[in-house]
Amino acid sequence: MGLQIEVKDLIFGYGGETVLDGISLTIGQGDFIGIIGPNGSGKSTFLKNLAAILTPAAGEIIIDGKALPRWRRRELARRLALVGQGAAAGFNFTVEEMVAMGRYPHVQRFGSFKPTDHRAVERAMHLTGCYHLRERGIFSLSGGERQRVLLARALAQETPCLLLDEPTSFLDLGYQVELLELLRSLNQRERITVVMVMHDLNLASRYCRKLFLLYGGRIHACGDPEEVLTREHILEVYRTEVLIEPHPLDGKPQVIPVSTAQAGPNQNFQQRIHIIGGGGSASPLMKELFARGFSLSAGVLSVGDSDWATARRLGLTMVEEAPFYPISPQRHRQNLELIEKAGAVVLAPVYIGPGNLPNVEAALFALQRKRPLIVIDAAGVAGRDFTGGQGAALYRRLEEGGALFLPRPDADAVIEALFSASSGQ
Amino acid sequence: MRGRRFFLLVLLLVIAAAVMLAAVGIGAVMIPLREVAGIIWNALRGSISPSPLPAETIILQVRLPRILLGFFIGASLSVAGTAFQGLLQNPLADPYTIGVSSGAALGATAAMLFFPKAASTFTIPLAAFAGALLALFTVYRLGSVGGRLPVVTVLLAGVVVSSFLSAAISLGMLLAREQMRNIFFWLAGGLGQKGWPLLLFIIPYFAAGLAVLLYLSRDLNLILLGEEDALSLGVEVEQTKRWILVAASLITAGAVSVSGMIGFVGLIVPHAMRILIGPDHRYLYPAALLGGGIFLVAADTFARTVIAPAEIPVGIITAFLGAPFFIYLLRRHREKYRF
Repeated sequence: MGLQIEVKDLIFGYGGETVLDGISLTIGQGDFIGIIGPNGSGKSTFLKNLAAILTPAAGEIIIDGKALPRWRRRELARRLALVGQGAAAGFNFTVEEMVAMGRYPHVQRFGSFKPTDHRAVERAMHLTGCYHLRERGIFSLSGGERQRVLLARALAQETPCLLLDEPTSFLDLGYQVELLELLRSLNQRERITVVMVMHDLNLASRYCRKLFLLYGGRIHACGDPEEVLTREHILEVYRTEVLIEPHPLDGKPQVIPVSTAQAGPNQNFQQRIHIIGGGGSASPLMKELFARGFSLSAGVLSVGDSDWATARRLGLTMVEEAPFYPISPQRHRQNLELIEKAGAVVLAPVYIGPGNLPNVEAALFALQRKRPLIVIDAAGVAGRDFTGGQGAALYRRLEEGGALFLPRPDADAVIEALFSASSGQ
Repeated sequence: MRGRRFFLLVLLLVIAAAVMLAAVGIGAVMIPLREVAGIIWNALRGSISPSPLPAETIILQVRLPRILLGFFIGASLSVAGTAFQGLLQNPLADPYTIGVSSGAALGATAAMLFFPKAASTFTIPLAAFAGALLALFTVYRLGSVGGRLPVVTVLLAGVVVSSFLSAAISLGMLLAREQMRNIFFWLAGGLGQKGWPLLLFIIPYFAAGLAVLLYLSRDLNLILLGEEDALSLGVEVEQTKRWILVAASLITAGAVSVSGMIGFVGLIVPHAMRILIGPDHRYLYPAALLGGGIFLVAADTFARTVIAPAEIPVGIITAFLGAPFFIYLLRRHREKYRF
């Protein structure tokens, strides 16, 4: 049953246009592979080359040691089953007739169905949850039902390998998960190889053990989901700013897009903004400014602090201190270096204790270096000063030094203040 | 489902036998059913009386060959129409769509125009058949792209060849004034005055073509799911399409050469049978064969009796009967039936 697919330097083009430009990879028995990539990257084309529906211009596809052109179609159809996107109109066959067509490569031309064939068809319908539809004509089915019928037909083929072209595209959330769970269980229990083209990166990440990221007809990245789904790869390939978060249950990387309209560097203020916060005081502002495309840094933040977690999630440059330790002189220096290179500094309404007093001093340093400083302070510093007045004294010096005080961490107000400060310079 | 389809096929077979038997008895001279059966039975046993009765001559030399020919022509057109509708994945396709019939018509026209002396009930079909093959060859060459036979290009090539040939036929009719009536009658289609030899002429093409179509019926089912799906299920799609095109065209060529262009049978009977028995070609072909035969025999009986002793061209009857019947079927099954 062992199945081995080897693709060597595959090149394919429609007319003069090259779609696949030198793809090499190996697929072994029991693999669960996702092929991802932006529209037009050649995902489906690659799958159709594998299924021998399209013929490569150059390069080779070798299945079980035999090059694809030397396979007889019927034999190949007993090794590979394809679940396409199911757009074909055709005639109004019943679901059962449709699924039974999966037995075509197994049944002789004028031979009749044997018990094994009937069993395969019934099992396929049960597994995909379309047994109750078996008498219905396919035209009366919804898009999702039709997609399940196509999967059932492929399962009835009883091949050691399934190729799927966006199998979840017409399915609602429940059926998406159900279908992928079914593929996973077939993969784990029967070691059926699964190769699927997926648009949904998060589902691909959760279910595929290996991902190939196609871009411009080439493999841009491959490996396990952690290696492939990185912020950099997604930015290169999809030109979209995203956040990568581990899935709360299995830790697989999940891709969270930052609104594309706001992604990319903010055109009006391209310098970095350094944010001083802690204890969650800076998180809303960090997120808001990040989403609007500002370049940010942060410091000094304690590891495990909620502002630290936000900064990390957003992938910001920051200075970190060990949890529950006061800011060390070394970290403080690093913070000052970041401030020196920043275009502006924002001081969030942090609670001030002896441990993080250097952060307020860092804000003062910004003023001394003629960096615009915005201080968010709603109710006055007295209520959050736990240093016996040292913090409040520093705040007075900030005020005297020309810091701009804003009552709320309102992004619009901050941005407005930044623009006026930078244009005033 | 299986049982139902089998039952329907048997039912169609019984109806076919009954209609043909009745048709043999009906005509200017009405012959009772019992006598009809007796005469046919005797003929089948090979015992032909030395001095045949008038009824015997009428049945064996006039009506029986005409009715059998009608059955085979109807079956041919209907089976070929089924194949073309499936192959071209187009509900409006019929045996005449891809121009094979126009080739036959031009062949027949040329024969009557250039060799009016030699033109006979036997040489005209030969010329028509040659014309049909030539048209098929042209469409095939025009329609194939890089060794493949895309449905759309075949359809377009067929339509183009068909209209070109039609223009040529019109020109031929205009040039051949004295032959115009003959050409017109040939084109209108009919089953009269053909006799046994022409029946024997078309049966080989029909049998061979039908065998190929039946052999590939399961493959055509899969092609209807979409060519990519068919490929992935192991069907040699291009090869299959090629064979179906040639087989259906040969069947059409045989039928048209002998009987001219009888319309509607090849368009409507396949749809009616699809409504009745479903889209599976393994059952659809036999159903279309029987349905087409029954329909044309019935229509022809009507054509030769309704204004007897004169005859109406059967093509007019098929259109008159076919269109309303089809509309009835379509309206009744509107929800369930989709091509």
